Amino acid sequence: MIACVAVVGHQNNPLYIQSFTEADDALKLHHIVHCSLDVVDERVNNPKKSGPTLNETFLGLLYPTENYKVYGYLTNTKVKFILVTTDLDVRDADVRNFFRRFHAAYIDAVSNPFHVPGKKITSRTFAERVSTIVKSFGLSSAG
Amino acid sequence: MVDPATTPLGKMLLDEITPVVMVLCTPLVEESCGKNGISLLQMLSPFCNFSNIDVPVRTASDQPYRLHKFKLRLVYESDIRHPNLEVAKEQLKQVITRTGEKELSELGSDPPEISDVVGRSESEILPSWFQLFNKELMHTVSFSEHEAFDHPVACLLVVSSEDEQPINRFIDLFNTNKLPSLLNDGAMDPKILKHYLLVHDNQDGPSEKASKILTEMRSTFGPNDCQLLCINSSEDGRIERQDNPWASHKSDASPSKHLGSFLNNDDFSEIKDVMQELASKHIIPYMEQKIRVLNQQVSATRKGFRNQLKNLWWRKGKEETSDSPNGPMYTFSSIESQIRILGDYAFMLRDYELALSNYRLISTDYKLDKAWKRYAGVQEMMGLAYFMLDQSRKEAEYCMENAFTTYAKIGSSGQQNATRCGLWWVEMLKARHQYKDAATVYFRICGEEPLHSAVMLEQASYCYLLSKPPMLHKYGFHLVLSGDRYKKCDQINHAIRTYRSAVSVYKGTTWSHIKDHVHFHIGQWYAVLGMHDIAVAHMLEVLDCSHQSKTTQELFLRDFLQVVQKTGKTFEVVKPRLPIINISSLKVIFEDHRTYASAEAANVRESLWRSLEEDMIPSLSTARSNWLELQSKLITKKFEESNICVAGEPVKVDIEFKNPLQIPISISNISLICELSTRSDEMESDSNSSTTELQNDEESKLLTTTGEMNSDTSSFTLSEVDISLGGAETILVQLMVTPKVEGILKIVGVRWRLSGSLVGVYNFESNLVKKKIAKGRRKVKSSPSNDLKFIVIKSLPKLEGLIHPLPERAYAGDLRHLVLELRNQSDFSVKNLKMKVSHPRFLSIGNRDDMTKEFPACLQKMTNAEQSVAGGNFNKMPQAVFSFPEGISIQGETPLLWPLWYRAAVPGKISLSITIYYEMGDVSSVIKYRLLRMHYNLEVLPSLNVSFQISPWSSRLQQYLVRMDVVNQTSSENFQIHQLSSVGHQWEISLLQPFDSIFPSESLFAGQALSCFFMLKNRGESSTSSDDTSSPSCLLGSDVSLQGTADTLFDISGSPLADFHAHERLLQSVSQDDTNTVDFIFISQPSESDSDSGISDPQHLFSHHTCHCSILGKTPITWLVDGPRTLHHNFNASFCEVNLKMTIYNSSDAAMFVRVNTFDSPSSSGQTSEATSPRSAVPSGNQAGWHDVPVLTDIKVTSQLPLNQVKRSSLLESVSPFIWSGSSASRVLLQPMSTTDIAMKVCLFSPGTYDLSNYALNWKLLTISGQGNEGETRQSSGSCPGYPYFLTVLQAS
Repeated sequence: MIACVAVVGHQNNPLYIQSFTEADDALKLHHIVHCSLDVVDERVNNPKKSGPTLNETFLGLLYPTENYKVYGYLTNTKVKFILVTTDLDVRDADVRNFFRRFHAAYIDAVSNPFHVPGKKITSRTFAERVSTIVKSFGLSSAG
Repeated sequence: MVDPATTPLGKMLLDEITPVVMVLCTPLVEESCGKNGISLLQMLSPFCNFSNIDVPVRTASDQPYRLHKFKLRLVYESDIRHPNLEVAKEQLKQVITRTGEKELSELGSDPPEISDVVGRSESEILPSWFQLFNKELMHTVSFSEHEAFDHPVACLLVVSSEDEQPINRFIDLFNTNKLPSLLNDGAMDPKILKHYLLVHDNQDGPSEKASKILTEMRSTFGPNDCQLLCINSSEDGRIERQDNPWASHKSDASPSKHLGSFLNNDDFSEIKDVMQELASKHIIPYMEQKIRVLNQQVSATRKGFRNQLKNLWWRKGKEETSDSPNGPMYTFSSIESQIRILGDYAFMLRDYELALSNYRLISTDYKLDKAWKRYAGVQEMMGLAYFMLDQSRKEAEYCMENAFTTYAKIGSSGQQNATRCGLWWVEMLKARHQYKDAATVYFRICGEEPLHSAVMLEQASYCYLLSKPPMLHKYGFHLVLSGDRYKKCDQINHAIRTYRSAVSVYKGTTWSHIKDHVHFHIGQWYAVLGMHDIAVAHMLEVLDCSHQSKTTQELFLRDFLQVVQKTGKTFEVVKPRLPIINISSLKVIFEDHRTYASAEAANVRESLWRSLEEDMIPSLSTARSNWLELQSKLITKKFEESNICVAGEPVKVDIEFKNPLQIPISISNISLICELSTRSDEMESDSNSSTTELQNDEESKLLTTTGEMNSDTSSFTLSEVDISLGGAETILVQLMVTPKVEGILKIVGVRWRLSGSLVGVYNFESNLVKKKIAKGRRKVKSSPSNDLKFIVIKSLPKLEGLIHPLPERAYAGDLRHLVLELRNQSDFSVKNLKMKVSHPRFLSIGNRDDMTKEFPACLQKMTNAEQSVAGGNFNKMPQAVFSFPEGISIQGETPLLWPLWYRAAVPGKISLSITIYYEMGDVSSVIKYRLLRMHYNLEVLPSLNVSFQISPWSSRLQQYLVRMDVVNQTSSENFQIHQLSSVGHQWEISLLQPFDSIFPSESLFAGQALSCFFMLKNRGESSTSSDDTSSPSCLLGSDVSLQGTADTLFDISGSPLADFHAHERLLQSVSQDDTNTVDFIFISQPSESDSDSGISDPQHLFSHHTCHCSILGKTPITWLVDGPRTLHHNFNASFCEVNLKMTIYNSSDAAMFVRVNTFDSPSSSGQTSEATSPRSAVPSGNQAGWHDVPVLTDIKVTSQLPLNQVKRSSLLESVSPFIWSGSSASRVLLQPMSTTDIAMKVCLFSPGTYDLSNYALNWKLLTISGQGNEGETRQSSGSCPGYPYFLTVLQAS
């Protein structure tokens, strides 16, 4: 199950963060997302490690915490997508697929002429779309 | 790569992994030492650290090397045991608490900027007590049986010279019964080097006795192993040392100067010598020897291929038997323990190669034996040995990891060891700058115990900070984690410290959830410590938490207020987050010479007022005309510099408060902060009139800077407002300051009280960027700060105006009588009142007499002469300024009442502005005149729609048929139709039929429409009054009562109706000239039946003015053929000759030629059809759906027409029944608005009825070229077929 998805701007400012858990652990997830930015930075700034996958937007598993797995994705505009999941065995293909759809949703959201770049994404359509993507993530991995 | 020994880990190892010397002493020795305030151990310890010895060492290899530094660890025999975990924990806690207390003082300071922290060296960042803590933590696992470096190498037996039978005491001391259990139960080797030390206290007497005992000792224990130590040589105990060596060993805070006060320099050097000899002459050689012995032993039994095979086989066989968790027990004498001792001794003597080879040897054995703890211990030492050798980093790390996981695997017993191992590992990684890995290890060390893990997490966070590039996100996260754990252990000081650092990480980011958490908790903790100032400062950051849930907001606010209350004082916070002040909403309303009757009036744009007041205000040049009045000149200059306000009159400031939260907050005591400085030197600056710069600020004496508003002595008063802001609500607050004395008033800011405890202050000056001042005059160049600065001048009279009862909404046409009430509260008089209204169409100024009259009865037409008198007064032009009569003065309590007439002219919304100008009665005042501006927003609803259609009466000249359509457009109102008046002398209107017959109900219900016809007649006096029509005095029209019963008609030439009509005329005017137009006034009254609705008050009238109704038909000419209708003629005698007269009227404004053509025969069918075509064309062309079908008599004729035509058409073929005689065409020039007569004659040949319509009028306008351009649509020429004219000629008998 996906615990949290987040969009983080290129100055590491949160643009969108949404948790999908029942519990009141928003703070924890915020911290996890915030921490994972270090790993993203590290991946991005270490070209020798990511040499063959230089143009790869998918950053892979950022780091495993006690209960979560954190995946990252970096767009061309240095906007980061973070996925926190509680599933312990996640197929990479699923995550890639998720990020691809998420990216599309994000592009549509920021293409809105009323969206101010660098400001939080408040679009309700985006939120709905993300939650459908999140729901389908669980389904596709199950089937 | 730096030398491993100089790294922190190297130093630590050289410090910690050193030979242990067990100390046994008698109570008397302790007593002697106790005189100095220290124990024997403490006395000796400082001298166990040898930094400049030079001892040759030869271990297993033949190559000797030298040791320059060495250290011994002195331990009481009672301490050689497994440390009690609980005690150790308590000790650790104390370490933390103590350091926490030390840091308390630092907590008050601001947290460092994150950019400063990054890039600092490790020693700067790390709190120094971490090392202490780590050391203590490592000591919790000392004297473990699975390691040999804590095993005592030697034993120091100390006996005092005062002891009886010292020799026996020495023997007693090393009695096995008293030895630590570890030595006795075989974990440690009890056969160790013994050294005998006799301590002599010089205060107890000379040392002879001691030397005697020493010789005795030497003979008993051997000459080399005995030594004498004389202490307390100082008599008075006054020896003080600057750098007391014992100070660091004494943990409590007793003054360190008195430690060792009886020890003089001789004692000092003696102790030093004793210890150095012990180390270099006894311990090191002993260890060397032991290494060599053990090495030989190990080589004999374990080295070589055969031994290895044998060992392997032996171990395999043993495997099944022992399965205890710690593996088999090994005594000190077992070969495994011996190898370990060999390794540890080699490590301590810094022969790391030897140590490593032995550790390697033993590690496989332990692994095979599943002695995991020992295996881990050996792995750990291997890792350290690798590190010290600076070889194979990977190997070293692998060993440490192996050791760590192994320790962790064996459960709780290995926990402490795992921690120690982890710390060493961390140090190893740090030494190699692998900070990130070190942080991970720290994270792995932190166990269950919160305090322990708190410290580890904090250390981990610093590792993240130190890593290159710094991983600030993780740094912050670990700090927060660590802080939470500190808080769990009530280590608030530490918790604050970590959070404080975390604050600097999150500062400036938009991660508001995290920020709120950090600030809120740190605030709470500061509050616990009683540092409320900082607590409040942190809590303030949290208040603007609109993104949080409602409960969180409540929690934040409640806790915040609690903290504020706990402080017991009122906090003053500049620019707090709650509530949000919308500075762009700031609006200052002040009254200089412009005063406002209401807030609405102040909101109207200045330019509107200016345009309205243009011709009322004396121009600037006239104001300055009196050059002798220097003061006024100066003030005028000041006007341009700064704003003026009048003492005693409030300056109002509008500002918006916004609550970002979802929960309501209460804000009380909102008031302005102002400064008023009085001008003490007004006269000086006046005399120095040439200086235009206003320097009063500097010269003036500041009277009041306080914002307290209570005192009467204050030179101004402030208003206070209390509001309660609901969730996400925005409230516009109006604040007032009323200066009492002259001077310079400056509005500094606004202050309020949040929930009764926190005082918020907002300074306007601080951000003036977006400020707008409502009443900005020509202040382009003046700085914005001047906008909030006012020159307060002496109090002036001020008029207050009110119009009542002005309805906010009315139906169109509503005519009311209103009263303007003007008051002057001051004692000074005003004069020269003038008034101007922006929309005279809506509001007209009445006559003073109107006050007493009763409305609407006063409008009713009266028969006597006073009518004309009243009408005569109104010769003023519309739009003009109304001047009140000279004698009027307003003063004191009695108000001036003045009548006004209000008429809701057109539907829609209207903003009505009224300006009243008045001059000061007191000439000396600075401001000569003032303006009272009143403003009302009115709404006018549509009521009756009255339209008129006029068409010329075809059969009569100068008479017109008027059709009036009235539609009631309201939804609920009923109107009673009263009268219709046409305006102007020349017009006379009359009903075509009795009104009762067409409209019996008399009142027009909602949505109902009514049409009726009138006859309008031109009396032909138009030429005399054509230029006076605009003047209301000529509104002497004719009226038609549309009311069946009442016969009272309203006088349309009376004051309000005539005025309003004049305005209507102006506004409804079209480009056309008004010679051919007529104006109508339709008067109705609200129906009395529906008295429940608001406007059904019978007090008012509705008047609808329709102006400029064109009377023109399709052609500019009208004509009339006049002649006999029926004749008797004897055709037998002759044909009949009939004379007709045609009267042609030119109703256009240009002269025209008219030609009358007669056709002798109606043969041209085109003419006939043309004659009839207008009839058929008119109905389709007329949109109103009606046309000038002649009424009654004419209709009868037309109905006969087809019959007539048929009859005629039969005649057409044969012969023309009549011919026009005389000229077949006559041409006349017709001047505008004039008539002419043309004589016509027709000859008839037989009796019958003839239609004499076979003529046509062709007209052509003599257009002036300029005139031709303007009216494209106007026809310049045309032709009209004749009207039917039926002539019946009968045969005279």
